[in-house]
Amino acid sequence: MGRFILNIIHRPELVPEYIDHSAQAGQTEEVSKREVIGESLDIFRLQQEIAHRNGLRTTIQMTYASLFNDEAIGLAKEHHEKFGDEISLTFLGLNCKEFRERYNNKELAIWLFSIEDKRRIVDDLFERFYGIFGFYPTSTGSYYMDAELVRYIKERYPMVKIAVATCFEEGPRVFHNCNNSWYTLLDGGPWTAWIPSKENIHCIAKDEADDIGIVAIPHLSRDLLASVDSPGLFFGTHPQNILRGMVYEGDQIPYMFNLVDQYRALMKQNGGLGYNMVFVGPGWMGKGGRWEAKYELLVKSYEDFLAYYGELKQRGQVIDQTMSEFADTFRSQHAYTEPLCALWRDILYGTDNQVFWYADPHFRVLLEMKQGGAITDLRPYAAQLKRPVGVGTPNLQNACYPYLVQSHYRAGAFTHYAGEGAIKSCKVRYGREEVDLSACRTHASLDTRNGERVLTLEPVTIELNGLTIQVQTIYRFPADSGEIWISRRIVGSSDPAARITVDEYITSCYGTTEYPEDLSGVKLSVQGPDGTIQTMDYAYQCREYSRENAAKVSGLVPQVNSLMSMTPGSEAVTGYVREGYAFAPNLTLGMCKTIGLNEELLTCLRVAKAR
Amino acid sequence: MSQGRKGKVNYRCPICFDREWDIDMLYDKEKNEYYCLRCNYIGKEEDILARYQHFKTKYKFMHKRFTLADF
Repeated sequence: MGRFILNIIHRPELVPEYIDHSAQAGQTEEVSKREVIGESLDIFRLQQEIAHRNGLRTTIQMTYASLFNDEAIGLAKEHHEKFGDEISLTFLGLNCKEFRERYNNKELAIWLFSIEDKRRIVDDLFERFYGIFGFYPTSTGSYYMDAELVRYIKERYPMVKIAVATCFEEGPRVFHNCNNSWYTLLDGGPWTAWIPSKENIHCIAKDEADDIGIVAIPHLSRDLLASVDSPGLFFGTHPQNILRGMVYEGDQIPYMFNLVDQYRALMKQNGGLGYNMVFVGPGWMGKGGRWEAKYELLVKSYEDFLAYYGELKQRGQVIDQTMSEFADTFRSQHAYTEPLCALWRDILYGTDNQVFWYADPHFRVLLEMKQGGAITDLRPYAAQLKRPVGVGTPNLQNACYPYLVQSHYRAGAFTHYAGEGAIKSCKVRYGREEVDLSACRTHASLDTRNGERVLTLEPVTIELNGLTIQVQTIYRFPADSGEIWISRRIVGSSDPAARITVDEYITSCYGTTEYPEDLSGVKLSVQGPDGTIQTMDYAYQCREYSRENAAKVSGLVPQVNSLMSMTPGSEAVTGYVREGYAFAPNLTLGMCKTIGLNEELLTCLRVAKAR
Repeated sequence: MSQGRKGKVNYRCPICFDREWDIDMLYDKEKNEYYCLRCNYIGKEEDILARYQHFKTKYKFMHKRFTLADF
């Protein structure tokens, strides 16, 4: 029997940007109008009432403005006493009259301040909170909190045990969705709760020494397939976001229940622990409606959503916890090296597509079954890149964790008449014909064998030069190894004597957006069976080195402190490395072998921190 | 030309929305039409709603209720 935990978080924001019509219209900068505060508190009160009506407890995250408002403080105390809600502190909703007077700044995002200002604001909020409630909060959050900010909070306020630390895949796609003006460039992190590394909040801690000291949760639980190619903010445990994505007809939104149920199903992939996070700011339930959705629909969607959780609770199928309670639950059930897994199916577009997300302290990877199980996103957590953000840092607004493969930003399987895209896939050749497995749709099942997560793909049928073969792919993820073992086996052939060349490859680059980065400084190496190594310094010259019976091929990408390598698990494998050119700014590592029926090419992809 | 204002309903541009961009439109009272500041869309309410409806057709599972057994 698994445990499916629900966190519901409400915040008395008081001056949410979305319900301040005058400010939106540019008529005034004074956003602390009495009517706005009144409406915002009414929404907060309504959200709380809906949760309590359904027997659900909440975490009340006090905003800066609400710490100056007696009514909001009184409500928080009352609900803590009466319902057992947790009183918490958020860095969202900083912008208010009191904040601007004190800091002379309209900045609204805690992660974008300089580290000096971050520290001042942390001290200010925590001490103000203590002065009001008589204790320090044990949970906090924002849309993003970098490791430097969290480390400071832990140093000053060690009782903090959990924080809303990122929004899952809220990067370039969401930025574009918001007309390039919503500076939450945060993608590359886990989709569910994790214990972050001290070095980078996106990365999963390796061990106790690397543990930053909190459990991190993402802002919302998002659709793990829809978020791959669309702005994830249309598709999460936030009913009004779903209305924003127009996934509804009339006042019916079955999709939001399907989303919850698929997260419930993930329990069996994750040691019996499942998690959902609901966090709707008051601006999403304003009386003026939100875009084309009227107020009544905004409210009904929230009522229906929480009623479903209430129903599940009554059936014993969800446990409502506060954030801090969940932190204890997560730590008691989740080992550092236990991977996060999500084999997720389409519940939106009418397909039977599947994706598989995997994350551990070494990497986060995404496999897409409609592309033959190709890896289309790879983030090297092993590199533990130090990337503080905010004013005075080189990254400033870019809080994304860099990729080594990102097929949607960097072309992937299909490109135009020239160039290559970033992907980890496999090509099979027979005679003069070649087919990339990324062109072969399939399905997968996940199980655990001897501590390894094993993703078994259904065989795909390929026609080549009059030959028909079936190829099966199996991925193995040995625990805490930084390795992915990939088997490509010929399991059927119209000509049992035919010999087919199988070419396992990864085409990689690095970056955080769609734009290419300079690969100068990259080193590509091929190691022969005798240990000799041939190395190429990347210079956009389209060179290729290869060795028969190769022991290893590797690519060092110093810009992201990462070392990728491939080693063979089969004998007589030819290894190669390929340099790109300016129109194809990638590097390729590959291993190929000619095999027959019931034979396989077995290779291991390893991602490690560069030394 | 009249001043563009927020309409009675704050419609997003349906053409930009097809690209998954949230772009608010302004309303021209004289012509009774909405227009986008980013792309070149203009249209009346009926056209906007029809285009929204078309946008939703990509969500083929929008009306389907899955069960746990489906996962």
